[in-house]
Amino acid sequence: METVLLILHYAGLFLILLGSVFLFLGALGIYRMPDLYNRLQAGTKASTLGAMSTILGVGLIQPSWFIKLFIIVIFIALANPLSSHALARASYKAGVKPIITSDTDEYAAVADEAGKPKTEKNTQTL
Amino acid sequence: MLKKIFVLFLLTVTGVALWQSFRHAPFGENRVGDVENPETVSAFYLKHSPETLHTANSVTAIVVNFRGFDTLGEVTVLFLAATGLASILYRRKEDEEEEGGHLPVRVKLKSSTLVRTGAKILFPLILLLGIYVFVHGHLTPGGGFQGGAIIATGFLLMFITYKRFNVNHKIMVWLESLSGLAFVLIGLYGLVAYGSFLQNIPWTGRLNDLISGGLIPLIYIFIGIKVATELTNVLDTLMNTKPRKK
Repeated sequence: METVLLILHYAGLFLILLGSVFLFLGALGIYRMPDLYNRLQAGTKASTLGAMSTILGVGLIQPSWFIKLFIIVIFIALANPLSSHALARASYKAGVKPIITSDTDEYAAVADEAGKPKTEKNTQTL
Repeated sequence: MLKKIFVLFLLTVTGVALWQSFRHAPFGENRVGDVENPETVSAFYLKHSPETLHTANSVTAIVVNFRGFDTLGEVTVLFLAATGLASILYRRKEDEEEEGGHLPVRVKLKSSTLVRTGAKILFPLILLLGIYVFVHGHLTPGGGFQGGAIIATGFLLMFITYKRFNVNHKIMVWLESLSGLAFVLIGLYGLVAYGSFLQNIPWTGRLNDLISGGLIPLIYIFIGIKVATELTNVLDTLMNTKPRKK
């Protein structure tokens, strides 16, 4: 039992270290990347993985907290990519151009279709 | 130029006044005293919140019990702020009809399917987290104000995701008023039964139990409901404000 806990402890420490590295890289990416879309993907991808592995690492070191921490990880996995998607879409619609422009814009057709002020289908009342 | 000189003058006056009043205040000194010394305030709080009130979270014990009257004032300030905002943004019905009843500011773009699905999944989770935070206010960090704010962020998510997501204004106002009333009634009960406003009941349970701390969790639940409904009302008012016609 003791050895298992010890192994879990070191695995947790390793995960926390990994998470910190990814969080640092995410921060560096936000600082260094040239335009909004690059910054978004650097920030979101790195911070999702970084936060998740840090939290899981804490869970391995302190096994009694594991279930709660796992719920937090699920929450991050749900919410983080979603917010990044919403931000990127909103800035595309607002007309923010990427720094390297090319002629291919595959999203344009989809965006035109989805951007139309259509019927009031998506209404919901609570 | 004149404006800048005036600003500099004002800054100087304020600075001198502040310096004059705080010149003799012992900044940086440990005026609270160490926790071991039983004569200091912090030691009193740290000793009495677990021992006599049986609340694990001393901050909650201070906020809701030792200076609960002050918290009532804070709740009132929030209420007044919400009321003031609503009265500033209030527009008569006739105004809207004159202008052809055009859509609120937020109805411009449809959110993507991903966002709508995600918001639907996240909304109940956020509500649950908020309720958890204010129900466990006396055990873990957080409390009524924080839990209420979390719930309001859940509603904000729904407001910005769904164009026509609406809360029932009447229910919200009733909930808010009733929870505020309940807070005052609990305080009055203390006054009638034990001789001082918001006096806690003598039965305070066991340390670290969910039902402990006497009336503290009850008061914090009411504060949580009040803050949540109030902030949601503020958001609702802001979201449904229509643009003025030029």
